[in-house]
Amino acid sequence: MSIELGHFALVLAFALALVQASVPIIGGQLKNEALMRIGEPAAITGFALVALSFVALTMAYVQSDFSVLNVWENSHSAKPLLFKITGTWGNHEGSMLLWVLILFFFGALVAVFGRNLPLSLRANVLGIQGAIGSAFVLFILATSNPFARLDPAPMQGRDLNPILQDIGLAVHPPMLYLGYVGFSVAFSFAIAALIEGRIDAAWARWVRPWTLAAWLFLTGGIAMGSYWAYYELGWGGFWFWDPVENASLLPWLAGTALLHSALVMEKRSALKIWTVLLAILTFSLSLLGTFLVRSGVLTSVHAFATDPTRGVFILAILMVFIGGSLALFAWRAATLSAGGLFQPVSREGALVLNNLLLTTATATVLIGTLYPLLIEAVTGDKISVGPPFFNLTFGPLFLPLLAIVPFGPLLAWKRGDLAAVAQRLFAAFGIALAAALLIYLVVDRTSVLAALGIGLGVWLVMGALTDLVLKSGLGKVAAPVVLRRLTGLPRSVFGTALAHAGLGLTTIGIVAVTTLETERIVAMQPGDSVELHGYVLRFDNLRPFTGPNYTEDQGNFALSRKTGADLGEIMSSKRFYPARQMPTTEAGIRTLGLSQLYVSLGEKTPSGALIVRVWWKPMVTLIWLGALVMMAGGAVSLLDRRLRVGAPMPRKKPAALPQGGSA
Amino acid sequence: MLFWILAALLTLAAALAVMRPFATRKASPAGGADHDIEVYRDQLDELGRDVERGLIASAEAEQARAEIGRRILKVSEIAEQQQAGDTNPNAVRLIAAIAILAVPLVSWGLYIATGSPGMPSQPLQARLEQAPSNTSIDDLIARAEAHLADNPQDVRGWQVLVPIYMRLGRFADAETALRNIVRLSGESAELQGALGEMIVGRAQGVVTAEAEAAFKSALALDPGDPKARFFVALARAQEGRLPEAHAAWRDLAADLPDGSPWREAASQALAGSENAAAQANAEAAPGPSDEDVAAAADMTPDDRRAMIAGMVAQLDEKLRENPTDADGWRRLIRSYMVLRQSDDARSALERAVAALGAGSPQSQELEAFAASLGIAVE
Repeated sequence: MSIELGHFALVLAFALALVQASVPIIGGQLKNEALMRIGEPAAITGFALVALSFVALTMAYVQSDFSVLNVWENSHSAKPLLFKITGTWGNHEGSMLLWVLILFFFGALVAVFGRNLPLSLRANVLGIQGAIGSAFVLFILATSNPFARLDPAPMQGRDLNPILQDIGLAVHPPMLYLGYVGFSVAFSFAIAALIEGRIDAAWARWVRPWTLAAWLFLTGGIAMGSYWAYYELGWGGFWFWDPVENASLLPWLAGTALLHSALVMEKRSALKIWTVLLAILTFSLSLLGTFLVRSGVLTSVHAFATDPTRGVFILAILMVFIGGSLALFAWRAATLSAGGLFQPVSREGALVLNNLLLTTATATVLIGTLYPLLIEAVTGDKISVGPPFFNLTFGPLFLPLLAIVPFGPLLAWKRGDLAAVAQRLFAAFGIALAAALLIYLVVDRTSVLAALGIGLGVWLVMGALTDLVLKSGLGKVAAPVVLRRLTGLPRSVFGTALAHAGLGLTTIGIVAVTTLETERIVAMQPGDSVELHGYVLRFDNLRPFTGPNYTEDQGNFALSRKTGADLGEIMSSKRFYPARQMPTTEAGIRTLGLSQLYVSLGEKTPSGALIVRVWWKPMVTLIWLGALVMMAGGAVSLLDRRLRVGAPMPRKKPAALPQGGSA
Repeated sequence: MLFWILAALLTLAAALAVMRPFATRKASPAGGADHDIEVYRDQLDELGRDVERGLIASAEAEQARAEIGRRILKVSEIAEQQQAGDTNPNAVRLIAAIAILAVPLVSWGLYIATGSPGMPSQPLQARLEQAPSNTSIDDLIARAEAHLADNPQDVRGWQVLVPIYMRLGRFADAETALRNIVRLSGESAELQGALGEMIVGRAQGVVTAEAEAAFKSALALDPGDPKARFFVALARAQEGRLPEAHAAWRDLAADLPDGSPWREAASQALAGSENAAAQANAEAAPGPSDEDVAAAADMTPDDRRAMIAGMVAQLDEKLRENPTDADGWRRLIRSYMVLRQSDDARSALERAVAALGAGSPQSQELEAFAASLGIAVE
């Protein structure tokens, strides 16, 4: 019964979302307060209903209820409990339900925490959230219903794709969706502003925490996905410029631009129309990503053409929301009052430059992702746009962006003094240069790229520190004053510094691992050793092992330093999942400082030796540690008091207006 | 019934949520401009703090303060223009009524169309605990598997499953079960024989080297084991060493008492082989012609072997001209295996995969087939 109740709750949530999508907006037009207020209880109840339905599906997975088609297709009774739960969203239908759950979650958050918003804005925002929600719930009910039943029920399921049977599935999709879908709030704010035809600095402040939260989760989701691919796919790559990855990178780039342009709008009441457009584009890119991943168009344009129901449905949603919002934008943008002008050399000038580079970078990634699909659709040829394209286009755009990042926070609003800022950054530049020279002279004389790239990363970290040093007055005033000043700084200053430093750390990690990594591929018999980067890896034996729903061959290796110091065991294995007849590789990874030793098993040679791949990945963990630091920056910024502007007190009588006001 | 009551309660809750704003009378809310002004006041406070901390020069602060002040003025102006008139209360009531009615109508209508309200949940555990009457063979197997997953030491359970798996052609599962029995009750000629038979089944009737090894080890444990003797003889026959095979079958038939199934099998095989000869290449698709077979019957073993090798070479040649014939490749690989030329079989597989396209469904199928004969691509 719980399954059918879950199904019913989803249908009910759809009905409620329809009401939420229409009544508050009509109320806004009629200026009727009660109609506008319907959005809040509808959003909160809708979230409760979708949550109920999600729990019902999860229960079906936990109890291995194979009378549910979706459970039969993607679960197995022998699967460990954790993977039964995460398996709920390890498939198309379930992941769409998670998508919708998070969408309704954000709607409920706006309803609960949106008391500081003007009533009509709140009503319109919730109305747009309701519209997006109803469209996607309808998509689930019409084309991808996870509650479809199977009668008679089979006794055993087909198991979850083994690659997904990993802790990564528990973290990556929920986080990524929190990011993807979180941008829907910024989108709704933009549409609401366009409907009202009014947009000002206050709007930017209201929309900022939502953008920041979405950005924070998206950063985490992308980083987590990258680490997952790194250790699960067995060859140690961390980014593949794969369309699915690009689909998550696109809203991240646009969202980063949005975060910065909203800052200009809030402080200087400028870039207003641009910011609204960016808010629309960011979520449009999220929708595009959902389309690419969920329609099956990526596997093959032709597969999409043979069963187009899902793809066409999402495409229709895309057309309505992206087309509709851009049309509304085109119609209303002219009536919006443009913002003020400003000097090119100023904080806002730097932020505009940031926006230009970020959006151009977004465009190149978008072209690189869509072009192969277009070619395949038109000519039928399959081409792939790989790392060379992105290195040639994305790289030259992103490198200058990274180089100018430290200048931004140091420039003053309105009128900046570039020379003075450059002078202040002299120390940071010196340290970065020293780091680059050190890498070149000591570590690797053949790779200028490594030296320059790592220098760039250090420059970012030092630039972020410089900002904090200057704002606290370190070296100019006494220590207690420094401390007082430091603690008194707005949290967003720390947020900025952390985010920029994190970017630097990630840069160092990426550059180090791509330029300085070493690899050995050897055929090993038990007892053989291989030497890599001052470490000795000895192959001990290959032992069979039986897991709950797989069998594996575990290769055991002993790791020691060349000097002889023992560093313990590394275990790397090849698994086989009989239910899906699929093998997976489980890499053996040992973290040594910031670097990692990565061991992956290959096939057996006819002579009985085992092919073993060993990589030395210098400073590779910085890629993801940097992302964590960026997330910490976002979180610190989110706690800034400025983002918690209280709601005005309800006025009892006009005379009670604070300080006389205009009454 | 309970389901409908709960569904009705959920619907009621949802409808009440929509009704709420009409039921509660709120104090007149803050106007639109107040929210904006709150933000700008906060900006002014922040500016004050920045000045205190010396982050911003006082002249610039003055400018910024003026700018924020202009925003406050503007927002107040707009708010005054937008003063709302009262809307027609009837229109509002109508919209509210439609909204509240839409909730039950849309949800119940849609659910009746898409749901299966009469169908209960069926958690696996509860189903396994049910009496096993009127359940299918698949259910019974699943039950036994679930039982063995929890009690892998139950030899009896594995023993029951082996013949069922063999009958259903689930040879990999049969192998797992057999290996478990060996683990639990030790080696025996019977088990080795069964293992060999399973490998033969997996290889679609070909007694591969791996299968023969299993039968040989059965014979080492019990030199009289009839099954193992039968299959070793079959292996000789498939190699084309017919006299040896015939002799072995004759000995087997002679050693066994009347009515023993293996005596019958041996006699039948002997008769069939003597009649048709060239058992080794007994393939449905373009096989040797009747004359070839007739000729083969009169040949010495070496000549026969040469003839078979010649036919295989012809097939090989044909496939060089027409490399997309997946069935042909299958026949060729199997022939090489029967001739015990595993290197040739392997190279044939590599050529086939190259011709059919690595990773294509056809070549994957072929690789799986070859793997079942004990060949793998590097």
